[in-house]
Amino acid sequence: MDERKIFTLGDVARSIRKTLSERYRSAYWIKAELNKLNHYKYSGHCYPDLVEKEAGKITAQMRATLWKEDYHAINRRFLDVLKEPLKDGIKILFLARISFDAVYGLSLRIIDIDPAFTLGDLEQEKQACIEKLTKEGIFDANKHLEIPLLPQRIAVISVETSKGYADFVKMIDHSPNKYRFHHHLFPSLLQGDQAVDSIIHQLRKIIKLKQHFDVVVIVRGGGGDIGLSCYNNYTLAREVALSPLPVLTGIGHATNETVVEMVAYANEITPTKLAESLIQRFHQFAQTLASLENTLVSGSMQKLQHSKEYFNHQVHMFLTHSRGIFFRHRSHLRELGLHLTRYTGFLIKNAREYMLGQQMEFIKKQAFGFFKVERDNLSYQQKYMQLKSMAIIKKASEDVNAIDRIARQLHPANVLKRGYSITRQKGKSLMSFKEVKTDHFIETTLFDGVIISKVLNTETKKQ
Amino acid sequence: MEKQTGYKEAFEELQQIVADMEEGEIGVDELSEKVKRAAELIRICKEKLYHTESDVQKILNDLEEEKSKTNE
Repeated sequence: MDERKIFTLGDVARSIRKTLSERYRSAYWIKAELNKLNHYKYSGHCYPDLVEKEAGKITAQMRATLWKEDYHAINRRFLDVLKEPLKDGIKILFLARISFDAVYGLSLRIIDIDPAFTLGDLEQEKQACIEKLTKEGIFDANKHLEIPLLPQRIAVISVETSKGYADFVKMIDHSPNKYRFHHHLFPSLLQGDQAVDSIIHQLRKIIKLKQHFDVVVIVRGGGGDIGLSCYNNYTLAREVALSPLPVLTGIGHATNETVVEMVAYANEITPTKLAESLIQRFHQFAQTLASLENTLVSGSMQKLQHSKEYFNHQVHMFLTHSRGIFFRHRSHLRELGLHLTRYTGFLIKNAREYMLGQQMEFIKKQAFGFFKVERDNLSYQQKYMQLKSMAIIKKASEDVNAIDRIARQLHPANVLKRGYSITRQKGKSLMSFKEVKTDHFIETTLFDGVIISKVLNTETKKQ
Repeated sequence: MEKQTGYKEAFEELQQIVADMEEGEIGVDELSEKVKRAAELIRICKEKLYHTESDVQKILNDLEEEKSKTNE
């Protein structure tokens, strides 16, 4: 009675399956976002939840299956190419067959996933993240902070048991020059998706205590290069960029630099290198200090030396100048002296000549007067003498005449005429008989002749 | 914080003194005073390099405080 055709659920399922298998014969390359991987550790299979979004809203959603063997093969390639495992939230290009199961319904059976597509997508995301931070003007924000001259108090975000942390701490605690650092660990996950929240959480904690720290360092190492795409996460990168303390990174990997490393104040390849760069800052400071110290010492010495030399020079100059002045003055004085002497001599000579002239004049005048008087006197005397002498001469001539008469009477001839004679011996008149010796010849002059006689005898006149 | 600005200012002042000296702006009269000051500044800087006391205890206290605040 019932004309209705009734199918069993199995019939429907079989029919759909038949239709689908006829319609979708081959495998197809499909792109979608891997919303959830849903990896079951026990079975080893995955049941990914695939979605397509438009402006954040899900516009398509489908379940998929990824069998254990396929999963392992694909994951290995992902690790190899992306340095990331297959994980939630990535975009994938996968090869799948459309299957329908009577119990589990429609699903996509993933055969293969192309890691290159995901890599490109992640790279794109990374670029988008950089672009966004740049557009917001915060990409260089951390780099523009002023790092203390000596970044001494270090907040370390790391894993206590990691090799990177051990390397870092070993370096700064045993710096070759015994520089003193102080560090405090803020433990955090450092790779994988949970690292983002974990690091952000510790970073915020540090920022609350920022007055105790000079820098934040994020060090990681020894964990391989896997799971570092978290450092390209926009939220984390933004947090790092906006940190009021300079963030230094030493994440230690061989792949491309992540966004967090790019926005950090400074990035070093490894924790060891990061520690070295901090020590280097101390070293540089110490060296500058030493060089300043040297300059100070040598500069002071030089200054003193210069001052000394300058002083000596001044003294020398003073002596030279004063000697010069002295010598100049002395020679000037000498010249003046000479000049004075010469001039005085000249003056004296002049004066003397003048005086002499004056004297001569005076004497001349005096003499002249004197001579005149004398001459007058003389002429008077002369006249007087003339007169007197005339008188004298007259009287004298009268006397002479009288005398002449007497004289004439007294002339030997006249005397001789009167009978007197003169007896001479050898021409000499005899005055005494004693002058005559016996037998001497004597000559007796008489008035009219001479008698020569020989002395016979002499005798004294008898009285 | 005070200590930090202390060494930074000390370092800057030291650089200034040395610069002044190099430019011959320090006379012999001031020299001894300046050198004495510079020695003190060098001491402050070296102190910072080699002998800073850590304030771990203070940080731990602050962390504790922070924790109890968030727990409330």
